[in-house]
Amino acid sequence: MPTTHPPQSPADDSAPVPAARYGRRHVLAAAGVSAVAASVASAPLSALSASAAPVTRRKAVRRATATATRRRTPTASPSPTATPKPSLTAPRLTAGRPVVAPPILLTPPAVVAANLTLPNLAGTDPVWHLLRRATFGPTPQLVADVRAIGPTAWLDQQLAPAAIDDSACDAYLTRYPTLGKTTPQIRAMTAQYSWDAMYDLIRGTLARALWSKRQLFEVMVEFWSNHFNIATPTGEVWDLKPVDDWKVIRRNALGRFADLLQASAKSPAMLRFLDNDDSSVDTLNENYGRELLELHTVGVDAGYDHAMVVDSARLLTGYTIGRRGEFAYYNDWRYIGPVTVLGFTHPNTDDFDGLHVAEKYLDYLAHHPATARRIATKLARRFVRDDPPASLVSTLTSVYLSSDTAIAPVLRALFGSPEFAASIGQKTRRPLEDVIATARTLGTAPAAGDRSSLGSLQWLIGGMGQAPLAWVPPDGYPDTTEAWMSTVGTLGRWNAHIGLVQNWWKDGMSTATPAAALGATPAATCGALVDQVSLRLLGIRLSAAQRAALLAFLPATETTSSADTVRWRLDLLFALVLDSPNWIAR
Amino acid sequence: MSPSPAPAAPAQRTGDHDGCGCPGTGPSRRSVLAALGLTGAAGAASSALSSRVAFAATPGPTDTLVVLSMRGGWDGLSIVAPVGDPDYARIRPNIGLPSSLALPAGGVFGLHPALAPLQPLWAAGSFGAVHAVGQPSGSRSHFRDSEELERAAPGSSLRTGWLDRVLAVRGSGTAFQAVELGSEMVPSSLAGPMPAMAMSSVDEFQLSVWDGVRPQFRTALAALHAGVTHPVALQASTTLAAVDTTAAMKAAGYTPANGAVYPTSDLGKGLRDLARLIKANIGLQIACLDYGDWDMHHDIGKPGDARGWMHRQLADVAGSLAAFAADLGSALGRVSVVTLSEFGRRAAENGSGGADHGHGQAVLLLGGGIVGGRVHGAWPGLAAGALDQGDVAGVTDYRSVLGELLQKRCGLGALDAVFPGFTPAPLGLATQI
Repeated sequence: MPTTHPPQSPADDSAPVPAARYGRRHVLAAAGVSAVAASVASAPLSALSASAAPVTRRKAVRRATATATRRRTPTASPSPTATPKPSLTAPRLTAGRPVVAPPILLTPPAVVAANLTLPNLAGTDPVWHLLRRATFGPTPQLVADVRAIGPTAWLDQQLAPAAIDDSACDAYLTRYPTLGKTTPQIRAMTAQYSWDAMYDLIRGTLARALWSKRQLFEVMVEFWSNHFNIATPTGEVWDLKPVDDWKVIRRNALGRFADLLQASAKSPAMLRFLDNDDSSVDTLNENYGRELLELHTVGVDAGYDHAMVVDSARLLTGYTIGRRGEFAYYNDWRYIGPVTVLGFTHPNTDDFDGLHVAEKYLDYLAHHPATARRIATKLARRFVRDDPPASLVSTLTSVYLSSDTAIAPVLRALFGSPEFAASIGQKTRRPLEDVIATARTLGTAPAAGDRSSLGSLQWLIGGMGQAPLAWVPPDGYPDTTEAWMSTVGTLGRWNAHIGLVQNWWKDGMSTATPAAALGATPAATCGALVDQVSLRLLGIRLSAAQRAALLAFLPATETTSSADTVRWRLDLLFALVLDSPNWIAR
Repeated sequence: MSPSPAPAAPAQRTGDHDGCGCPGTGPSRRSVLAALGLTGAAGAASSALSSRVAFAATPGPTDTLVVLSMRGGWDGLSIVAPVGDPDYARIRPNIGLPSSLALPAGGVFGLHPALAPLQPLWAAGSFGAVHAVGQPSGSRSHFRDSEELERAAPGSSLRTGWLDRVLAVRGSGTAFQAVELGSEMVPSSLAGPMPAMAMSSVDEFQLSVWDGVRPQFRTALAALHAGVTHPVALQASTTLAAVDTTAAMKAAGYTPANGAVYPTSDLGKGLRDLARLIKANIGLQIACLDYGDWDMHHDIGKPGDARGWMHRQLADVAGSLAAFAADLGSALGRVSVVTLSEFGRRAAENGSGGADHGHGQAVLLLGGGIVGGRVHGAWPGLAAGALDQGDVAGVTDYRSVLGELLQKRCGLGALDAVFPGFTPAPLGLATQI
């Protein structure tokens, strides 16, 4: 019997992510054993997903025979799976600047101060500002590096990640053996339905955020992982999402959006997550066809109606998963007949190779102005402010379209824009960003460990609601200040700061002592020490009232010798500065 | 053309199905929570602009509403078994509860023997049930149905949870107005702008500095945020007020009243903390707890075997709720507990000693204002024609159950702000407060 879907009216199409559409995620909730329940080790969970996996309620789907083949109509268009190699521009250490890209402004124009809606608690230093936005957190070394070569040259380097030596981080990642492996390899390396590969991915993601030198690349990997969200860990993508991460997201994060979209549409993890792997002309499943439009490309206001959602799903019939977990195209499942989605129409007869018709459709979506605007808006929200400035969104939309959906030029335009320069303090750190930035600034370093390394951070950040990849609906983690303001988030953040400063979690990482993290001889008086610590961590001095609060805590006066504080209270002083509202400004 | 063989069936479970009581695996629990992503953001829950710290009293008497989410789709046909239904034994020859083992519940029903600790409350009329409860768009998908259940606004574009809307209707409240216990993430039923809290336990909800320095640390935190108009500063005040409260509660310690002994399970601990919070009179209006896993596709347990999966878990539920009721004593008169699962399970058993995803479920009710000692709602029966695609029909909309509690016990008037477009059917399951 068919899976029941709630009737979809056009009104539903205008809803922002209406709820009832997330597909076969029963294993998620099956795995959703609560904290109040007994603890459940991963073996029973994977077994639960095993029991949930059999198709019990759909009518028999006509499956392609083993001999079904893809009919590939030879075309002149390049294979969409070919990916351009990342550019190997040598890093520029001299003063030459590219003529085309606008230089990063060194001082924010005073005139835009009136547009600030959050009080700016982060000071005015543009280098700290750039690093807070374009990396997972500034460190003293990074600040010095950017000052040395200039922000534009640094950004150029970051936009050519292949040329950045990342061997230290790569060496660390070898402890997560399934990273970069294919589905057959993962199946051979772990038990069936094991969550090990997903845990490897989550922890590897944390390791890269902490220690990769390709920071902007990692930030963009996170951005696109959210844009093309596939909830992890769940039983249904145990052997698939780990592949999606490198094959779809990492391969294309700084490439062309059109390539990223094509790769995502052929990603078994995505096809499973949004039910396209079971969608056929006989049992059409609209989930991916809809989310492709609503979340991945043009957006809910682009003017498509339900008939177009159906045609979108029809275009994607046949995109499914093969026996070895690879992308497969089942021609027998394909819908044949004319289709229209927004401005894309196609006769879609069986003279055409259905796989290729879908590719043309995806390419159309990738180049659609509404897609450009949505990507531009999301990037501006991510990197500039919660309510992106219209002027910047327009600029970025144009750059996206004129560069044939390439992302790097959009980022260059963004970071070089006056709107970016004027947005100091207008974003706030979400739990993941807070914890990683804390660990980075404290000088947390890679340490010996094993596959369980960084599990502590995984749980810590997960407890605050932002474990990497764990957001459940397909739209990705929210990216505004308000969405993350909560009591439990605040307490979680404060407690995370103490834990990191005091080096509670030693699984694969070691945090420097506060005295070592200070990176200089401690100032002689308590007043000067308070300033030294806040400059070290925040790049600014705190207000008079805040300084007084910290001195009262120690307890000390401006001129008290700092010796006792350095000996007994430096960790708590660090923690309090990190707990200040100034730290949360990103 | 013969179809190719279906993809290889997943391996049958060979491992144990440890369901409850295993200590010391905090990380595993949390991984699961992360997977479930109870609204992910430890709220999309509170708006800095609307968070309230004021201790304003809510007008009129109102029960504390306790929503016990049974995750995984719990099997109402085992818990409140229709032992007198002629089709029951026929379609559940192996896992069906024999009437000789069931505790009498009136009508065709019998309670699972594991509910024995609650039997006195059934007899006294503060423990009851509703059967054949469903939600309109049952998809039999855990995630989809959980989301819809907690959003409780089918056919609308609302993205808030129904409990958030209840808080919004109420208006004023305290920092502790809504608490998720036993987890650090707020459930999606509380998603929305109204402030809500989540804590693993009362004692653990604390600043992680050593006791000797905590007061000064707390003072410094407050002073660092004083006069700052950033949203984070508002959250800081609320959070500090909350940790002050829990610190005082922890210092005071707690001994359950009336000799109540809670199981040492997570549910037992959660309900014990809930009793503490209720007795502390800090404005708790809504409490949420989660309990699972009930997704018993297989090996639900031989009826009468106390080591079976269903029996063990249900015994934990019964023992914990019985202790909770005893601990509260007369305060139970101002508490309403309701269980909710995303769906029930199929009427017929499957080939693995369990049952697959279904639709209509059984809801348990506990509280002084509950009309207990009976199973409410119309029972459609288990004849083939009465089933909904092989499942118990969802004759009673779960919003009727919740709506009646909200109106009769929680002082709400009209319900359209909470359940837009829905008119509840009266069930007579609660008395007017």
